[in-house]
Amino acid sequence: MNNEEEDDLLQGKDIPSTGVEPEVKSVSVKKQEGFFGERPLPAVEMAPRVLRHQSRRDFLLFGIGAVVALAGGGFLLPQQTLSRMGVRRNMNSPGKEWLLNRALRIDDDVAEALYSVNRMVPTYTKSQITPLKNNYNGATPDPVYISRWTLTLDGLASGLSISLDIQNLLTRFSVHEQITRLVCVEGWSAIAWWAGLRFDDLLRAYPPTSQAKWARVESSVNLDASGNPTPYFMSLDLATARHPQTLLATHLNGQPLTVDHGAPLRLLVPVKLGLKNVKAITRITYVAEEPRDYWAERGYSRYDGI
Amino acid sequence: MSHSTSACNGQNVTSHLLKQPGVLVVRKHHSLVRWSHWLNLPILLGLILSGISIYWASPIYQHQPDPNTGNFDVAADIGIWICVHVPGQHHYSNPPDWIYNHMSLGPGMLALALRLHWLCAYSFMLNGMVYVAGLVMGGGWRSLLPRPIDLFDALRMFRYYLGFPFAKLARRQWLHPLFNTKYNALQRAAYFSVPVAGFLSVATGWAIHKPMQLHWLAAIFGGYNAARVWHFWLMWVYILFVVPHVILVFADGWDTLRSMIVGWSTRVERSEVVAK
Repeated sequence: MNNEEEDDLLQGKDIPSTGVEPEVKSVSVKKQEGFFGERPLPAVEMAPRVLRHQSRRDFLLFGIGAVVALAGGGFLLPQQTLSRMGVRRNMNSPGKEWLLNRALRIDDDVAEALYSVNRMVPTYTKSQITPLKNNYNGATPDPVYISRWTLTLDGLASGLSISLDIQNLLTRFSVHEQITRLVCVEGWSAIAWWAGLRFDDLLRAYPPTSQAKWARVESSVNLDASGNPTPYFMSLDLATARHPQTLLATHLNGQPLTVDHGAPLRLLVPVKLGLKNVKAITRITYVAEEPRDYWAERGYSRYDGI
Repeated sequence: MSHSTSACNGQNVTSHLLKQPGVLVVRKHHSLVRWSHWLNLPILLGLILSGISIYWASPIYQHQPDPNTGNFDVAADIGIWICVHVPGQHHYSNPPDWIYNHMSLGPGMLALALRLHWLCAYSFMLNGMVYVAGLVMGGGWRSLLPRPIDLFDALRMFRYYLGFPFAKLARRQWLHPLFNTKYNALQRAAYFSVPVAGFLSVATGWAIHKPMQLHWLAAIFGGYNAARVWHFWLMWVYILFVVPHVILVFADGWDTLRSMIVGWSTRVERSEVVAK
């Protein structure tokens, strides 16, 4: 390694000097090699004062940048992380939320732009099926609700509120099968064999109001960590609901859905993260404005397109 | 350049008596390359910290749950090992979380980590474009391209680095191999790998972020699960690159470090020599 001369132009010593007029000009012009060949670095002769001035400017910018980066890091890191690092002050601010949510919205817009009702998700063979875990925090709801279960449709063009039981659904609509991957926001995924009716067919049979752009999907049988029922509500754009692979699933791996997997009817939206694939849905309401979403209120994306 | 030319001329007019000799410098790094180089530091740090928090939610490397603790995460095992064996960590309150508390934003904050990861990921892509633009505008990309001779030259550099500590201890002279290019073969390999890794990180990131709309991209990397593994190990490219990078920059001296801030270097000798 060259023992680099501790030259410091700010002090003006040990400078390779040519003693000519301080003017900016190129001094090394050699023949060029092919397109990919390395060119010699252009050497220029500069007045020390100009160089000093430029260097001072660049160091100043670098310093400002470093301070901004450090402050920005402190600004953006979660409060929990900061307090572990010994920061006692509350660093939460509306600006931080705004910026992080902005990134989330940009990402949602990208996901929405990528979505096409004509683009099918990959399907798999039965040999590729993998185990699907139950996500009711390890608990299962009391199955007595199944006997009383109905699906209620609201926000229809007819102005009526429709209630359908599972027999209605299975006899009125044709059943479609698909082996698709369910991807969780946590990162794990499972390939499962589903069967059920198409959401699109339900939308055609019971058309929503003309202004409706969203479906509010509700389940009243989800459980919290201690096993108590907790309302679960989710927003789904109707463009996604109309995707041919968006099912109201009744069967998993050839068997009727078990309580673990959302008996008797669950939403299966392979183009969305698992958290939009609501189990044991009880009500679908068509609305014009984007409805509330359980996980969006907990800091996750509202669109969740994958 | 035009700015400095005019400033320079202005100086000549006003202070003829204070005329100083000119300084010979080489333009080493384009300003866009320098800016994007330094911006990568906080962006990559943010990506890694939030990325490991995301990893926590569903670790790739798992084993059968421990019957006593229920633990299945290899990263948690490493944390437990550290708390047992590393002095000063014996009383750590939550050993399975040691890795996540020290190498990520922390466990149990997936929503926060995802938002920060998207912010940093979009910044990383924009910054990558700025970097490539700087490489093209400054012509620096040619210096990064691997050449056929690189394998031999890389071995010479390895030999140099391996012998360096012994030569220092024995107070023997140990000459740096001579190269007439901007970077030696090992540097080229490293500086070429990092943008490639950046590109692959972005590609695998999209593959696991949009595995349905971009399923062809996930398929290139062997499917969704394999793309997650790729994405995880690509992180290690940056970590493994940064350590020798920083050590060697300081070893190489002030001129090298300064050149990434100001863009110029006084090491003109290499610039005078054209290859061959």
